[in-house]
Amino acid sequence: MAEIRLDKLRKAFGETVVAVNDITITFPTSAVTCLLGPSGCGKTTLMRIIAGLETPTSGEVYFDNERVTTKSPAERNIGMVFQYPVVYKGINVYRNIELPLLEDKLDAAERDRRIKDVAEVLGLQDVLYRNVSGLDNATLQKIAVGRAVARQPKIILFDEPITNVDVNSRVQLKAALKRLSKQHNQTIIYVTHDQTEAMTLADEIALMKDGVIVQRDNPRRLYNYPNDVFGGWFLGNPGMNFVQYEVNGGAELGGPLFRKPVRFENRGGDRTVSVGIRPEYVQIHPQVAPDAAEGKLLRKSIVVGGQYLLAIQLGEHTIKAKVAPEIGEVVGESVWVECPLEAITLFGEDGAKIETELKPA
Amino acid sequence: MTQGRTRLYHLLLWVIALIFFSPILWIALASFKTKDQILATPPLFVFPPTLANYTDFFSRQNVGEYFVNSFLISIVAVLIAILVSFLASYCFSRFQPRGTSFMMFILLSIRMVPAAATVVPIFLMYSAFSWKDSWPALVLFYAMFSIPFSVWILKGFIDGVSRRYDETALVNGGSRLHVMFKVVLPQVRPGLIAAFIFNLIFVWNEFLVNFIIGGKTTTMIPTALMIGVANNLGTDWTFVATLTTLYILPPIIAIFFFQKYLLVGMTFGTVRGEV
Repeated sequence: MAEIRLDKLRKAFGETVVAVNDITITFPTSAVTCLLGPSGCGKTTLMRIIAGLETPTSGEVYFDNERVTTKSPAERNIGMVFQYPVVYKGINVYRNIELPLLEDKLDAAERDRRIKDVAEVLGLQDVLYRNVSGLDNATLQKIAVGRAVARQPKIILFDEPITNVDVNSRVQLKAALKRLSKQHNQTIIYVTHDQTEAMTLADEIALMKDGVIVQRDNPRRLYNYPNDVFGGWFLGNPGMNFVQYEVNGGAELGGPLFRKPVRFENRGGDRTVSVGIRPEYVQIHPQVAPDAAEGKLLRKSIVVGGQYLLAIQLGEHTIKAKVAPEIGEVVGESVWVECPLEAITLFGEDGAKIETELKPA
Repeated sequence: MTQGRTRLYHLLLWVIALIFFSPILWIALASFKTKDQILATPPLFVFPPTLANYTDFFSRQNVGEYFVNSFLISIVAVLIAILVSFLASYCFSRFQPRGTSFMMFILLSIRMVPAAATVVPIFLMYSAFSWKDSWPALVLFYAMFSIPFSVWILKGFIDGVSRRYDETALVNGGSRLHVMFKVVLPQVRPGLIAAFIFNLIFVWNEFLVNFIIGGKTTTMIPTALMIGVANNLGTDWTFVATLTTLYILPPIIAIFFFQKYLLVGMTFGTVRGEV
């Protein structure tokens, strides 16, 4: 239907603040792409530029092959939903969804069909003829979503739409969003700072930091193989463990993580490298095990799903491990830690991933 | 508060309200009395009411005209003022042109200038333009007179409407006019009503300017009242009482129906329209 292509897009506020720094990216047709990043990383600004609510300092925005950089929001044929529900007071839910359709000069039957359609998907049938005052936040946000979707634009932009919605309704809204996106094959960009939301909704996630997109990948790959320290740190709860090694251009890693030395290809000649491993991939043995390094248990706590989160001292480093209840219950003061080589990602001095395979020396 | 104290408090409120209401009661009662009854000491509270004053009043020439003038001039002037003020305050609120706060300050200052101070220049201007006793000219003056206060109230209300409303409508394919009149305007309806009622009362009560630059065809009730007070036999109490009673009815009715909006208006736009 419509792909969104950004070309060397840049937006600066004043002299010092660069919200969007030279971004070139294509958001594919009919896919849900989540823009994920911490607050203030420029994701909302990027979205507003795509919507036409901000003018970029430089660079271009294309929808398919049409240049839209200088077009007004109205000319772009998009839909947008904001963090706080925008609902027009004094009229009922039906009229709220209908208002932009009237502007589009659709006939009454078609308007009615579309409104009933979105109301059905969003579960708004029961309140359709109620006045909007007195409805809860989740319902209001559904109305806002309905209004954006009913116009059937080629592109829909969501700016943290469920941040202010209570947990129960969130699940429902998320499901509805998924259904809607499948139904009309729209190109959807979804801004969020919540990784769970991004992981569950997105076909692809674009991870943003300080005005640049650090990585764009499907959720699983992004999680397992971040190509930057930031991705490892930001995703996951808790984030990745990083252990720094001074290698001085060499290519061998030993303690405290590895009992037997491990080799990698240091093509870039980095002096220090960081070994990254997600807490859930760290293997913990309550008893002595071959190939496992001995560590000291500092803390242990129960997390979601009955799993245990352990903080373990290995040499001078503290690493976190998430383990199954059976292991978590029985670990004593001394534990044996094993880091499977296939679960490890190496990062160079600049924080970027080193493309290499780890092998026992 | 205990029940006894609450009662006492309510009693006190009633007494104060009645004290303030007593002149109005006096004039309203007077309109049903004969001249002698009006001037009787001590004042009469029980008397056989007469409608003679009203029949006499309506048999006079021009009285209908005063009412028509008062109604039309104030309503048209305030409607123009509200339209202009809405456009202006939308601009101040959303585009914040350079010097917005200074302009808001100037607008408020205009409101503070006593009417008497402006009468001479206005008289000279209107004479020079030969605008005296002209219906559109008077409407224009009252519109101008009503704009500052309306801008103040409305700007507060529009500031209270999140910009996301504008943006949602723009993205959904609306033009700027659509945003202003279809999206923002309904959200600030309480502000519009408050500004409308307030200014309507200001204009309804205005005497000085109507007296100075008005004339035969544009006489409004306060001027008529002032002219009609004296007849060849002294003060014409029955006329004053009748006209005053009829004159205060419309504001009382308006206030009764729009009390809650007036409260919002009295806070001078500082209590923002909730989003």
